[in-house]
Amino acid sequence: MEPEIVLPTMEAIRRWSGVECPNAAARLGLADMAGLIADMEKLRGTMVFEDEPSSFELALRQCKEPAK
Amino acid sequence: MTDLAELSMTEAADAFARGEVKAEALVRACLARVDAHDPKLNVTIRLDREAALDAAAAADQARAVGIKAGPLAGVPMMHKDMYYRQGRVSTCGSKIRKDFVADKTATVLLKLDAAGAIDMGTLNMAEFAQNPTGHNAHYGHCHNPWNLDYCTGGSSSGSGSGVAGRLFYAALGSDTGGSIRLPASICGITGLKATQTRVSRHGVMPLSFSADNVGPLVRTAKDAARFLAVTAGPDPKDATSAPEAVPDYEAALDGDLRGLRVAVCSTWFLDGADAPVLAAFEAALQVLKDRGATVDYVAAPSMPAIATYVSVLSRVEGAAIHANWMREYPQDYAIHLNARLFGGYSIPGHYYVEALARRGPLLKQFVAETLTGYDLVATPTVKTRVPTLAETDIDENPANWSRFMAVSANTRPFNYLGLPTISIPCGFDDRGLPVGLQLAGRPFAESTVLKAADAYQRITDWHQRSPLL
Repeated sequence: MEPEIVLPTMEAIRRWSGVECPNAAARLGLADMAGLIADMEKLRGTMVFEDEPSSFELALRQCKEPAK
Repeated sequence: MTDLAELSMTEAADAFARGEVKAEALVRACLARVDAHDPKLNVTIRLDREAALDAAAAADQARAVGIKAGPLAGVPMMHKDMYYRQGRVSTCGSKIRKDFVADKTATVLLKLDAAGAIDMGTLNMAEFAQNPTGHNAHYGHCHNPWNLDYCTGGSSSGSGSGVAGRLFYAALGSDTGGSIRLPASICGITGLKATQTRVSRHGVMPLSFSADNVGPLVRTAKDAARFLAVTAGPDPKDATSAPEAVPDYEAALDGDLRGLRVAVCSTWFLDGADAPVLAAFEAALQVLKDRGATVDYVAAPSMPAIATYVSVLSRVEGAAIHANWMREYPQDYAIHLNARLFGGYSIPGHYYVEALARRGPLLKQFVAETLTGYDLVATPTVKTRVPTLAETDIDENPANWSRFMAVSANTRPFNYLGLPTISIPCGFDDRGLPVGLQLAGRPFAESTVLKAADAYQRITDWHQRSPLL
């Protein structure tokens, strides 16, 4: 049986993005989004207020090999 | 020299530079391989036969009058069909862009041109570089030269199959979730994804701009070192390109593994690995140890977060840049691709921001967990045996989805982390398909990654084995 998440998610995509569900495989893929939601739930609380995307470029520089 | 096609890229370039072989002979050797084997492998999308011969004649003429040759002079290459060259069609492996004519030339192609490389044409690839197996519904699937029933890995499928099949000496791939390293591993060759921002992406088809990388598929680590030295460096046309100086990567290749410290993550990368893959991986670790490296097992508790966020990042960015076409021409995508893109529209914006914002802290955490006291992290590139084309065809059977996605489980995390990572051949599975060893280093430590890979290849011969076509 199709998970509950599928129909309302298809409707939300149609409203927000104007994209229609293209095929059965896409519908199947939406059912799998429950797994991603569960994975993101596990990460709640890890992001802190000051985290921002530019920290990545900084981290690339900070994590370089120590001089040999 | 009996079989020019068996030379590596650097061997071909050096032979040309020394005057031992003509560029025309190199091009003709490659064209002969293409004519003989492309009908089986389905590697090429566009073959510029006459232009390649003209370029070879010009290279031979230049050398004859004493003009100094570039580091890749006379070497025939072909590239994934997503590197734009002004005035040329770049299909991006798609129906939607089958007639797209680029109005600019990719910086990386200009650099290869300047180094003297000969561009023979463009290569088959996964549609819009969006699958890990190399399936293509529009141009036909590429085939693995070790066994035509098996997938090549993707998305740089033509690059992997063609270099492994000795159809040309090097090829550009692109890597957003493993698309260089997967076909390198699965076809038994060498593939390098450099540090995020290391190589300009100007004039390259975008997929997920946070994680897209440009890099080579070649036969040896030495080839990858020279190729990277030619293509890396800052580019005013790509604001994200790193300002770091480009070192002499080849000079670092001394064959010495003594003192190298290698970490192996005891979980995640080995979880669920197939026995033949594990056996080849462990044998490779033993080779490193026998030559003076230390190998230790470490924990990497940050991996579940990294794996979750990389999935969010690539799906949202892919969905965003394809939104117009998904509204107007959804039927022009392969089933597996529009199905994957469609899910991306359901991911909330704050998930995406979180995935981007956590990237820096998680990079620091991963480096602290795995690279404190170590130079490299080692994993199998693909933890499962190479699947057949049928086993991973989700257009035919959507139930193959999990097997399809499992192919890139070990490569995707390094795109989120932005770390330099190489795949080199380290054996074969019980069905005779290649197994790859993946080595990752700290940001901008390409020299360390290449040095270890080259040293391994000096004492093993997996990279020299040729498929019988």
